[in-house]
Amino acid sequence: MSQKITKDRISSFLRERCCTTISPDVMYLMKKAYAEETSSSAKEMLKTQIENVGMAENQKKPVCQSPGFPTVYIRYGKGMNIDELADMLKKEIVNATKDGFLRPSMVHSLTRKNTGDNSGVGIPNIELEYDSALGFVEVIISFKGCGAELGNAMKIFTPAQIGEDAKGIKEFVIDTAIQAGGKPCPPFALGIGIGGQMDIAAKLSRRAVSVRRWTDHNPDPDLAAMEEELLDKINQLGIGPGGIGGKTTALAVKIGMSHTHTATCPVAVNFHCWVARRAGMRIYPDGRIQYLFDEEVS
Amino acid sequence: MKEEHLNTPMQKEQVLNLDVGDVVYITGVVCTARDMAHLRIKKVLHDKESLPEDFNGGVIFHAGPVVKKVDDGWKIWAIGPTTSTRMEPYAEMVGQLSVRAIVGKGGMGESTSQSLTKYGGVYLLAVPGCGVVHAEAVKKVLRVHWLEELGVPEAIWVLEVNGWGPLVVGMDSHGGSIFKDIAQKATILKEQWFNVKPGF
Repeated sequence: MSQKITKDRISSFLRERCCTTISPDVMYLMKKAYAEETSSSAKEMLKTQIENVGMAENQKKPVCQSPGFPTVYIRYGKGMNIDELADMLKKEIVNATKDGFLRPSMVHSLTRKNTGDNSGVGIPNIELEYDSALGFVEVIISFKGCGAELGNAMKIFTPAQIGEDAKGIKEFVIDTAIQAGGKPCPPFALGIGIGGQMDIAAKLSRRAVSVRRWTDHNPDPDLAAMEEELLDKINQLGIGPGGIGGKTTALAVKIGMSHTHTATCPVAVNFHCWVARRAGMRIYPDGRIQYLFDEEVS
Repeated sequence: MKEEHLNTPMQKEQVLNLDVGDVVYITGVVCTARDMAHLRIKKVLHDKESLPEDFNGGVIFHAGPVVKKVDDGWKIWAIGPTTSTRMEPYAEMVGQLSVRAIVGKGGMGESTSQSLTKYGGVYLLAVPGCGVVHAEAVKKVLRVHWLEELGVPEAIWVLEVNGWGPLVVGMDSHGGSIFKDIAQKATILKEQWFNVKPGF
């Protein structure tokens, strides 16, 4: 079965949807925040940020100089051909770097030597998921800002520390947001991974803000309520856009949960800057393409 | 809140006059420097060698640009602030170099606050995530240092800027810090939310 994934299609998808603009759902939330913000300096900052996206689109330049860390999420069904996809993505990230759409930012972790073209060991991070029932190949490319990751935190909770109504976890999240302040390029989105083991919670926290639409609602009513409560509390903290005050601190809080062992509960808190350079598409066997992350609120 | 248009090199008196919340526009020369450039400067000073730039009265921009090679040099394609807190360990050194303005995002900590007071400097916030907006203020790439060794993001790019701003004074030379004030207020709120007294 051929999905007609051509090099040109991957190239324009990467450049036009992931480098020179931001995810449409995030743009919708930015405009909503601008309309609702009451602090004049915060409003001014949001206005500049929104205008910058338009300028980047028009001039075909990177929205932000820092490309962040590249991850590609691929889901595919039975009989789907994804043979060349990973190689093609690797090559196109290097080509986009050579053409000025991405800054060369990948370095050896210890020597700090820059590879010069965003290639490197484990770059991009490619996460494959097979689901026999899927009738398409889904590709989500995400360049997740790394300055924002300096605010990330993780803690392994005991049942006693979780507390009643998960109060301990909520306090940990709020504390992490205060410590991070303006560092994660607010207005940010916060991904929270709860459960599994350490690595699983961390991965859930990243996926929550990378593959979910920021305007969606969590299908689990308990998690949906927790997302709403935390979003409301974070926006009361007064950190604001850029961290210089205002009521727009977070655009979204997204929680990913996995069951865990009866003795523990790992919790990971993961910031995503407002410059959401991520895009997704589903490629059907007949060549039809469906883009993800439209601004519609579900 | 004042609005000031400053030219480089800046005089110490000019930055002493600035307070948290003021808005600044810069015209003149700005040097980018991130983690590796700071580390390299430290080593050069330690080895008593000479620095490639005179930072006296200068502006350090925590940034690593996207650049394009053109016939007669380089063009800044996109540039914007990186997270400044990583440069906190170099607060004293930057003060000693008589850097008058540090531009970045996210704010800095207590060591920087002390250095700004001791030597006379300000920390300015550039709008984060706006690579094209900031690039428009860059008129020219004057020089680049340590490009081969450090790579594009970490090299020192010496830029000519014209009316670059608005940049908001986030930390001043009188101990003021927007970031510290906001964190303190937020912490009080957090205490109210979570530290319910026993028996309440």
